[in-house]
Parts: sequence; C-alpha cells; structure tokens
Amino acid sequence: MALKLIIGNKNYSSWSMRPWIGLKVAGIPFDEEVISLYDESAKAKILAHSPAGKVPILIDGDVRVWESLAILEYAAEKFSGFGFWPADPAARAHARAISTEMHAGFVPLRSECGMNFWRPPGKRALSADAQANIARVQEIWTQARATYGAGGPFLFGKFSAADAMYAPIVSRFETYAIDVSAPVKAYMQAMIALPAWAEWRHAALRETWVIPKFEYDWPEVKRLPPEAA
Amino acid sequence: MKLVIGNKNYSSWSFRPWIAMKALGIPFEEILIPFGSPVGNPDFKTQVGRYSPAGLVPVLVDGDIHVWETLAIFEYLSEKFPEKQLWPADPRARAEARVIASEMHAGFLPLRTECPVNFRRPMRTRELSAAAQANVARFEAIWNGCRARYGGPFLFGKFCAADAMYAPGVARLRTYGIKVGPETLAYMEAMMALPAWDEWRAAALKETWIVAEDEVDWPTVLTA
Repeated sequence: MALKLIIGNKNYSSWSMRPWIGLKVAGIPFDEEVISLYDESAKAKILAHSPAGKVPILIDGDVRVWESLAILEYAAEKFSGFGFWPADPAARAHARAISTEMHAGFVPLRSECGMNFWRPPGKRALSADAQANIARVQEIWTQARATYGAGGPFLFGKFSAADAMYAPIVSRFETYAIDVSAPVKAYMQAMIALPAWAEWRHAALRETWVIPKFEYDWPEVKRLPPEAA
Repeated sequence: MKLVIGNKNYSSWSFRPWIAMKALGIPFEEILIPFGSPVGNPDFKTQVGRYSPAGLVPVLVDGDIHVWETLAIFEYLSEKFPEKQLWPADPRARAEARVIASEMHAGFLPLRTECPVNFRRPMRTRELSAAAQANVARFEAIWNGCRARYGGPFLFGKFCAADAMYAPGVARLRTYGIKVGPETLAYMEAMMALPAWDEWRAAALKETWIVAEDEVDWPTVLTA
C-alpha cells in the first residue's frame, strides 16, 4: 500500500513542506491529502488521523507518524537506500543537531516571517531576536557547507533530511528579501532549483484558501499571480 | 564521553540525556556550567560556546564530535550503543516513541512556562491557564495510552529515550501539585523510583544558584 502524507496548505504550512520535499527528492512515491488549516472542518479531519491534531502526518499501513522529524527518521529507516542522513557519523550527528535546532527553535523568525509562497518578495521590519535567528541560520548553513558540503550544493553535499528541515527558511528568506551572504545565496539557489521545490510552489500559488492570521496585510492579501510559478 | 549540562535544579533540557544515560548504564563524565541569571555565572555563554556553536546545553562530547540538541544526542547514543536500546526495538513502537519525543521537544510551551522545573521548590499547587491544562491532559493521554498498549511500567515497557524526554514533565507535575489520574500517578512513581532520579534530585537540592525566570514567586525564592 502506498504511503500517504497528510499536509496543510502548501502556501502556508512550513511543517508540511519538510517531509513532503524530503520524500519527493528521495523519489519515494506517496499519496497526499491537503487539509486547509483553520477552516471549520480541519480540526476534526486532522484529529481523525492524529491525536496531537497537527499536520503533517505520514500513514504507512496501520502506522501513523506525525512530527516532521519523526517522519524523516521513519523514512530514513524504511528507505535506508536513499541516505536521508549523511553516511559519516560525525556529519550525521551534526545534521541531526541542526535539524533539531530547527525543529524547536527560531520562533521569532518563524512568527515575523511566516511562510507564504504567494506573497510578493519585499522587506519587513524585524525584531532584534528575528535578526539573531537569521544570523544563526546563516551561520549553520555556512558552517555545514564549509565542513561537510564538498560533495554537492546542499548542507552535507547531497540533499539530506537537514535540507528538508531548512527548506521553508529558504522560502522565508526569499519572500522577505533577507540580505544574505554569497555562500548562503548559493545554497538557497540550489534548493530553489529542485524540481520538487517548483512542484510545491506551483501548487501553492494555485491554492485559493486564504488564512487571515498568516497574511500580514490583512484584509489585503498581496499575492503573486498563479502564472508566476 | 562528556555531557555538558546546566544547573540540575532548573535545566530540564540537561536532565533528559543525563537521566537516559544514567538509567541505561552509559558511562560519561559530567561538566556542569551554571546559568547566569541573576546571581549565577556571568561567563555561561562563553563557557558553553566552547562546546556548542548554538550556545545551548546540553552538549554531548565524544572525542571531536560535539552533539547538541537533546533529540540529536539520543539519536547519536542510539547508533553508538545499539545494545542499550535508546529507542524500542519494534519499528512501530520506535516510530511512536520518536513521535512523542518530538512532540515534547517542540511543544507544551504553556506548561513549560507556567511550571518551570525547580526541584528545590516545595510542593505547592499552582493554578494553570487553560492552555497549560490542555498540555497536562495531553501528557496524560500520551503516557496512559502508551502504558496501556505496551504494558508499562515505562511508556514502551522498559525505560527508553521517550521516557527521558518526559522526565522533566514528571518533575513539573509533582512540584506544582497538578491533579492527575491514578494511571498518570503510577507512571510518575515509576519514573521517580529510578536511582538516577534520586541522584539528580539530591544534587539539585544542594545547588545554591538562582535563576529568576524559573522562580515563579520571584523575588521570593521558596526552598524545601
């Protein structure tokens, strides 16, 4: 039976994007079900799959896995051929450390620069905390690339679960026109060049569900036309 | 191996890998760097920065490999000591253990904020917000669901990394006198019966450093 991934809106749901892009880049086939978050029926639909009431959720037969990191670990064990984590133990430990740092951290950046693919790129005033997050993310990417990135354009050379964890940050940096160093820009370009990225973005720009709390200019919704994808 | 931790009285993140390694019999040397605020250690950031670029405790140091973030430390230990079974052996149970460990890692903020780990504090009931109460209800659902399915006394039978993730949760419920059901209490008692629990707690009670943000009656500091 095919795997199924239950996700939220592609335009807004950064947590959903992480396992989705991980599985796509790994070439693992899966069915997807998109549930628009915060609409009247969303909570009941999600709770039917997970008692935590959160997306994403991976369904593999009668196994249900939620929380992006746990999904990536599950995929890493089940599809060990892809190498979701780097093969070298030191690199792997580093990849997991920065993935976990993403999992629970960078809250100011996440709340001040919500993922929003259709928002036309432009700067926003950011708090000192969000700016500190941006500096730390750039440090993480630059250090991983310099230490482990020789074999390719991603954090550990070839695409890994750590890249999947940071994919939504690449989107945020783009959308909010964050000033970044040249190596960081190169990393972002490698991510954006993934066919999986284009596929996600294409679908995001065509979604019609608008979530007011994620639109900073509400009631105005600034959005790129679907053709921009 | 070395484990770099913060104050035992307050550092819930440090407690997790520490109790896991102790309970599972993985030897390590401990390096304690006390937090700074307000009468502690002004050099905390500098001292931790030697071990972790993120500037956070805990950090596991194994030769020239430095692992920060509790979950990453567990995955590292799980690979290095497969015989210790940091995660359950059954793939399905393992997936579930990682799910609830991740849920703990990034969640339960209202409860964590309203009920900081503070072993020294005498047990006193504390009123919780609705959001923190919902966190407590979710703790109970997770713990009791796992114990019912896997037989207890720990979440997946024998003690594993998922229990270590929730060990500070047990301390919070106890310190702040949170009302829980008998099943939940049975899990808390299993956790508190670990020799490692006593060892950590005894050391915590001897500490004199104070962290104002974790003292909910600040500037009053209640000690048992």
